[in-house]
Amino acid sequence: MSDIQQSQSSATPHQATSLLIERLLQGEFICRTTDEEGWRALKSGSTRNYIEQFLNQINRTLASAGEGEVFFCGYLHLGESERKVISSQFRDICNGLVPLVEWLVLVQEASGQDAPLTEGAAIRLIELQARIDETPAFKEQLAKLSHYRLFGSTSSQSEAQIKLIFKRLLELGYLSRPNSEKQIYIATGKIDYLYEVIRFIDETEGLSLEAQAETASQKDLL
Amino acid sequence: MSSNLHHAGVKLFKQLARHADLVMDAYLAGSISEDGRDPVVMEKLTQSGILWRPDPESELRLKRSIRALLEESLSDERNRQIDANVGSSLATIKTLANHYKEAREHTDYGAAEAYLADLSEHVYSFTDSLRYSIRVLWSRINNEFGYVGSLTAKIRENELAQSQVSELLNGLELFQFSELAEIAGDIRELRRLLVTTLQESLSDCTQELSVVQGRLLELLGRFRQIRGRTRLLKGWLLYNNLHPDYRPVDHVAHNKVPQLFNRAEGLLKPAAVDVRNTTQEAELLALVSKVKSISRSVLPHQPLESSAVSLEQAEDFDIPDNPLKLAVEEYFCQVIDTGRSQSALSYHQQQQLPWDTESWLYQVIGEYDGLSEEHRRYFELEPQGEPHPDFSGNFIIRDVELWLA
Repeated sequence: MSDIQQSQSSATPHQATSLLIERLLQGEFICRTTDEEGWRALKSGSTRNYIEQFLNQINRTLASAGEGEVFFCGYLHLGESERKVISSQFRDICNGLVPLVEWLVLVQEASGQDAPLTEGAAIRLIELQARIDETPAFKEQLAKLSHYRLFGSTSSQSEAQIKLIFKRLLELGYLSRPNSEKQIYIATGKIDYLYEVIRFIDETEGLSLEAQAETASQKDLL
Repeated sequence: MSSNLHHAGVKLFKQLARHADLVMDAYLAGSISEDGRDPVVMEKLTQSGILWRPDPESELRLKRSIRALLEESLSDERNRQIDANVGSSLATIKTLANHYKEAREHTDYGAAEAYLADLSEHVYSFTDSLRYSIRVLWSRINNEFGYVGSLTAKIRENELAQSQVSELLNGLELFQFSELAEIAGDIRELRRLLVTTLQESLSDCTQELSVVQGRLLELLGRFRQIRGRTRLLKGWLLYNNLHPDYRPVDHVAHNKVPQLFNRAEGLLKPAAVDVRNTTQEAELLALVSKVKSISRSVLPHQPLESSAVSLEQAEDFDIPDNPLKLAVEEYFCQVIDTGRSQSALSYHQQQQLPWDTESWLYQVIGEYDGLSEEHRRYFELEPQGEPHPDFSGNFIIRDVELWLA
């Protein structure tokens, strides 16, 4: 009888943990938006330890970013081949930074918001598209960024451009789409990871990006 | 005197009630234009101190006291006026206390009572205004300065609130309870007002103000973080525009890789079968044939329909044997029993079997061929007949002879 009950509930704790490990091993980012249950489990000490032990056996470890709100899987020990993987991933991330940042700024400006996109924020594609279509400067910006290799659009239609960008962002895990029948997208924790990467580069290389942006905006005001 | 005051107060409130619309218009708009309004009414309202004109060119505005009354009664969140002037209240309280003491010493009880009433009013209104200030601060914190639009405006509002909190806290430090206790001396009424009441409320308020201060700092931190992110993005684009050849330094080339960039490659890649690849057909079919159950865990879980299952004995059933087959078996048994060879047709005639002879012969041959190799060796079956007269290679079987080998 108890067997029957167990098979009826959709995910027993054990199943949930193995699914979580699977997602981590697929290279996914686990955050509250993409997988709230998994995220909670990783926040709790016991599951976290269990998963860490499991991952350690295959030279993996649990890593986190964004003040501990985003989890992903990293290498426990770095050998030659692991370093190669990390180098190539770092190059990919760096190549994607400019297009992604341009997109973030476009979304923020087109929707007239003070705050840039962060985890959990929703974007209504139809509304965003309407706002971009209304303003030639935004349209130009969209066309420019859709042609970056990261997005790879060849279309001259803004609708096709924006749809492709969102499709790519879904694939890359920066957005999630909770309801496939609706054009509403939610930013994931990977966006917050992106901020952390830029901040890291800024601080380590001493670029003082914030100060530069501030003086630029003050010059604009004058 | 007091009946006069009472009368004047009631008159003032009636006037306010009569011109409630006008007063509220002035409150919401900040000022009120005289166009289209009755000049007599405006004049009356100005005389009774409800409206005033800051300077000859400007429009009429509500007096501060009326505004404050409305702001407080309506809990209007736009209200950010905080009376942080603790020093003057303290001075007034001390002065009144000294008046009271002097009147008591001169045994002028009438005056003393009036001073005491005045003093109580001041003390209570002071603590009340302090509590009110804190309430105003909280309401601004709770809606995160929602009454201003932009983030920079919110940061400015937050900084204003913080300066107000520190002013209030600095003002409260002016209260020296030893000094107040000295003024109160051994007069019970004074001690109650100046020491007990004040001290209790002040320590409450100080505590609450420090919580307010903490929350304000936290909020400011968050606002700055959001602003920081916006600037970070803008700064990044700016920097890349100014330095088109810029590439980030290879931060992962160090001996110690920052945790941020230590991301393992996906170990499990999403896989799919290429069903159109014909060269894999055999393998795929083999795989499919081994599939015992398909679990679609990604599909939304559908609760199983419960249905009553009754457990019963499986009903017995059997397939009745073909009687022709049974008769053939009978024939084989007879050959074994007698040990002699027997023609199938003669057995058929002997037993008066109902089937036609052709079916009978087919069944006998079929049964013989259907025996297992081991059993077939015990029998010999010889067909009897003649070759077809016209078509060579065809043998027409008239009968078969069966015997034990």
